[in-house]
Amino acid sequence: MFVYFTRRLLYLIPMLLGISFLIYLGLELTPGDILSYLLPPEAVADLRPEELIAMREALGLNDPFIVRYLYWLGGILQGDFGYSLASGVPISKLVLERIPATLELSIAALLFSTLFGVILGSISALKRGSLMDNSLTVFGMIGVSIPEFIFGLIALVVFALQLEWLPVGKRLMPGYDSYWDHMPHLVMPAMVLGLIMTAGVMRYTRSSMLDSLNKEFIRTARSKGVPEWRVNFIHGLRVALIPVVVLIGFRLPMLIGGTVIIEQVFQWPGIGDLFVNAVRGQNYPLVMMISFLSVTAVLFASFLIDLLTALLDPRIKLE
Amino acid sequence: MKIRFLLPLVVTLCFATQLLAMPKNSNPLSDSRVRQAIAYAIDMDTIQETLLEGKAIVADSHIPNGPFKKPGLPQYSYDPDKARQLLKEASWNSSQELDMVYYYSDQLTVDLMTAIQAYLSDVGIKMNFRKLEGDVGAQLWTAPKDPQNGPSAVKWDLAYGAHGPLALQEYFSRYKTGDMSISPADAKVDSMIDVLTSTADIAAQKKIFFEMEDYMQTELFTLPLYYQQAFIYESNKLNRNSGIYGNPQYNYDWDVTKWTVEPDANGKMVMNTNTGPMEFFEHPWFNPGLFITNKVLFDRLISCDGGLAPTRPKMAKYYNLSKDAKTLTFELKNGLQWHDGSAITAEEIKWNIELALKVPNIMPIFKTTFSYLEGAEAFMNGSASSVSGIAISGNKITLSFAQVDPNVLLTFTQWAPLPRKYLEDVDPAKFQQHPFWQNPVGSGPYKVQEVKMNDYLIMVPFENFHEGVARIDEIIAYPSKDNDANLVKNASAGSLDYGFTKNVADVKALEEMDHMRVIPADIPYTRMVWFNKYAKN
Repeated sequence: MFVYFTRRLLYLIPMLLGISFLIYLGLELTPGDILSYLLPPEAVADLRPEELIAMREALGLNDPFIVRYLYWLGGILQGDFGYSLASGVPISKLVLERIPATLELSIAALLFSTLFGVILGSISALKRGSLMDNSLTVFGMIGVSIPEFIFGLIALVVFALQLEWLPVGKRLMPGYDSYWDHMPHLVMPAMVLGLIMTAGVMRYTRSSMLDSLNKEFIRTARSKGVPEWRVNFIHGLRVALIPVVVLIGFRLPMLIGGTVIIEQVFQWPGIGDLFVNAVRGQNYPLVMMISFLSVTAVLFASFLIDLLTALLDPRIKLE
Repeated sequence: MKIRFLLPLVVTLCFATQLLAMPKNSNPLSDSRVRQAIAYAIDMDTIQETLLEGKAIVADSHIPNGPFKKPGLPQYSYDPDKARQLLKEASWNSSQELDMVYYYSDQLTVDLMTAIQAYLSDVGIKMNFRKLEGDVGAQLWTAPKDPQNGPSAVKWDLAYGAHGPLALQEYFSRYKTGDMSISPADAKVDSMIDVLTSTADIAAQKKIFFEMEDYMQTELFTLPLYYQQAFIYESNKLNRNSGIYGNPQYNYDWDVTKWTVEPDANGKMVMNTNTGPMEFFEHPWFNPGLFITNKVLFDRLISCDGGLAPTRPKMAKYYNLSKDAKTLTFELKNGLQWHDGSAITAEEIKWNIELALKVPNIMPIFKTTFSYLEGAEAFMNGSASSVSGIAISGNKITLSFAQVDPNVLLTFTQWAPLPRKYLEDVDPAKFQQHPFWQNPVGSGPYKVQEVKMNDYLIMVPFENFHEGVARIDEIIAYPSKDNDANLVKNASAGSLDYGFTKNVADVKALEEMDHMRVIPADIPYTRMVWFNKYAKN
């Protein structure tokens, strides 16, 4: 198993290199550059060509594409993540400032959705055809089909503007002394994100649970007189969880950059918000770094899924 | 006798009119009749009432209504029959498709483009529109190598955009031969621009403005669509205490030090606003008043009224512009301080002007003023170590100009000096990227107390401000660009006390809130359609 995991880890290196090159190429092919974002068209028109060249030179934009890519890669390998072209702030500082906000939002949503998704999905499967199952199925359909920003806006109108139970958005406010002060700000974005994810986990759990409950080993367990709760939750759910774990595993990268829309709706200053602004501004060192983190998270998640699947399913052997 | 005299005159006039209207090259848009037909085809009154919900003024010239606009300029009110007739006279080829470009991302622009497309289609002009992406400046404004004959260096036929200059001359100065992508060389325009940009005499300026407007509107170089207004919004908690309203995009005598807000439960006056920093503070040499930070953190040498006419000295004890407008003298007030308590010196002002000459991304009007200083060119090309046209004597600064800049005083109402000690090592090409812009030190009525980038900024009164200590205890600015996407949400929740917007939909929403008031402000900001009149390849 050790050899398997070492090999998988080594595979990540060329994959990361390839993906980083593709992202860099994509940015290169996008028309314009950071100056198109920093300066309005009228201002660019008023600049002398040599001034534009000097600004591009100062920002390192005049070198050929491949040279810039190799500079960037060289920097990454030496632990230098570069500077934001817009503000000159080190990217490591920007990312470290924003990542706690994204992590607390996405972890809260992930925990909420996993817990409720598995419980509700199991109940739905066990009460198949009942009113509760049908209601939960409808809820699941709504959850997966309505865009999250719609849910977000409805929640804002109801809970923040009408009932005034929760703040309208943002994360940190002046006068907050302790970490917990901003928790009311977290509730709404985490719930909205969590609810949407819950729907997916619930539907997945339900179908997987139904599938596993029809398996022969379940009938065998029942015929042996194993208590029903044990049949359902120890034998049935354990097997049913394997595809659910895969689904949840693939949501782990969301911890880095999957909360873009919710962050925009709730003015949540996380990585997603930073990424959107960086893409709009063609701030390529920042886009590269966030993409790189995101890709690493995806690859790492897939690696983790293999590990978890092996642990959950004794039939799987990793070689 | 009379007939003998009049006939040749009438014939000459008719011929001249025909000649003016004739296409100048193979591009049908070089024919003023086609341009006029486009103007007649668009019902701007209906667009103003419907799409713009009455929140704009239909334009009949580049420059907005006011003393510098000539009365009785040629009008192109909606008249589709006349448009069809003009197109027929110009032998318009109805199979030709015009390419309209724009650079805004909002839905209103798409709706406007769709409406214009329909109006043009009604008179037999096919038009398609697309949004420019990437290096918009180059795609819009690259001038052809041969400014007389072209061919055009840009691909489009029509471009929709806006011009909102600080000085009215800027509306026209960009039409100077060789500077723009759209108009073949025109000696008459050039000579008018030369006069316009070189006289400080108001009467002379007015005369040439009138001539210029008349010529451009008759020829329809560009089609002005509407004058956009800015809408200042305030919560009912805010009291300006007789402070005036004016152009909110720039700095004027708004008496912010006298403003008050209803105290909170702790008896503290806190004003909430937007345009706080997201990743950095936008420096004030490019957008001097678009962001609240640039308005209240930095002070100016001269002040002006709401219409941006210079009125009184501010950081300066006095200022004097010589009769020939080539020498400007300031004397700084005694005891002026930066927010860190260090003294503001005349030497520092000189250093600031010299730095501004080397910073590429500064407001064009500032650049023009400083580049007109004696010795500025030598300083910029490195042959001189300082600008010879700036003389310092104690607190007195004398600026000697090689040529007259009609906007010299206006520049000093908006341009803000910065503390030298923090910016001494700055690379002018990376001015905005300097660490100073993470927590700037200024000289204005408020100073930075705490900044949590992209969360909030707290500004408190500067205790040594030379015009007295501001009354509001804290200004809290939440991060946003000038067009705040979260404006309505935050205003509904009562967390916005002051700001301004140009977004019509936001204005309508704000007007429906009982606790908010909206005050329209006329600003020089004209939305227009540029015609590319060069021959195409």
